[in-house]
Amino acid sequence: MKARNNPFRTDRVLAVRYRLCDETLNDLLERLQKMGFRGAIIGPNGTGKTTLLEDLEPALCALGFRIKKLRLDDEKRSFAKVFIKDFFADLTAQDFILFDGAEQMTTIDWQLFKFKSKKAGGMLITAYRKGLLPTLKECETSPELLQEIISDLLGGASSESSSSTTELFHRHRGNIRVALREMYDVYAGKPI
Amino acid sequence: MRDLEIRTRDDKTDYRPSEEVAGEISWQTDAAPHDAELRLFWHTAGKGTRDVEVVESISFESPARQDRRPFRFTLPDAPYSFSGKLVSLIWSLELVLSSGETERLDIVISPTRNEIALQGV
Repeated sequence: MKARNNPFRTDRVLAVRYRLCDETLNDLLERLQKMGFRGAIIGPNGTGKTTLLEDLEPALCALGFRIKKLRLDDEKRSFAKVFIKDFFADLTAQDFILFDGAEQMTTIDWQLFKFKSKKAGGMLITAYRKGLLPTLKECETSPELLQEIISDLLGGASSESSSSTTELFHRHRGNIRVALREMYDVYAGKPI
Repeated sequence: MRDLEIRTRDDKTDYRPSEEVAGEISWQTDAAPHDAELRLFWHTAGKGTRDVEVVESISFESPARQDRRPFRFTLPDAPYSFSGKLVSLIWSLELVLSSGETERLDIVISPTRNEIALQGV
């Protein structure tokens, strides 16, 4: 199958938004507000932390916040000192920090960052582990969720059996992103 | 109401490099848009990160609520349209109104006027 026709190509997968089960984005926002607009989205790789962070951005903008985004990952594990100095120099209570991958920081760097970020009106981070900020949401996945996403990407006509999706899910330890990459390869091998 | 259309001359969608693509765009919206722009761009689609480059664009002045405008681009020499298993390069024309409404028409640019098939990639 041509890449352009692959139902699991990157642009289609990125268009899949976070699926909240028993609450709404407004519920999350209300809880975040009660937490003083300081919170963390927690979860392993590929469970939707970044997606949920992105999904909350428009709602935070609508509350009048000016969003300042930061990102660290396995390839970029720290910020340059000059960058951090500039970042905090003009930070005000109108600013809201969305920090993806905060667990990459060393303990000392994080404590310093957290202290300096008090000037901001709010901060929401993603991290693999608890403890950096009070937990707003723990992201979890399930074989059923993977099945639902696969079905949606295939236009509601999933040819994948429930057992094969469950096996795919467990093989990738619940990492939906990696599971969907494997689905890309499966479909890339199919005839046009 | 949303009604945007991109029509190329003779409804042609396959071109050779450096060839001219011309046609007409039209739209009918609830309110007159502040801006209307037609972009000629390519993007990749596939397993990896999506690359995109706008090669040329035309801005249409004083767009009305219901409007129709001719357009003309000279296509570049490269890159060609291609597809493999891992990545495709797709050329498109995209009409973008300031209201956020868009319409896209995919075209092919290659010496044979057919998308080049990459084997094993």
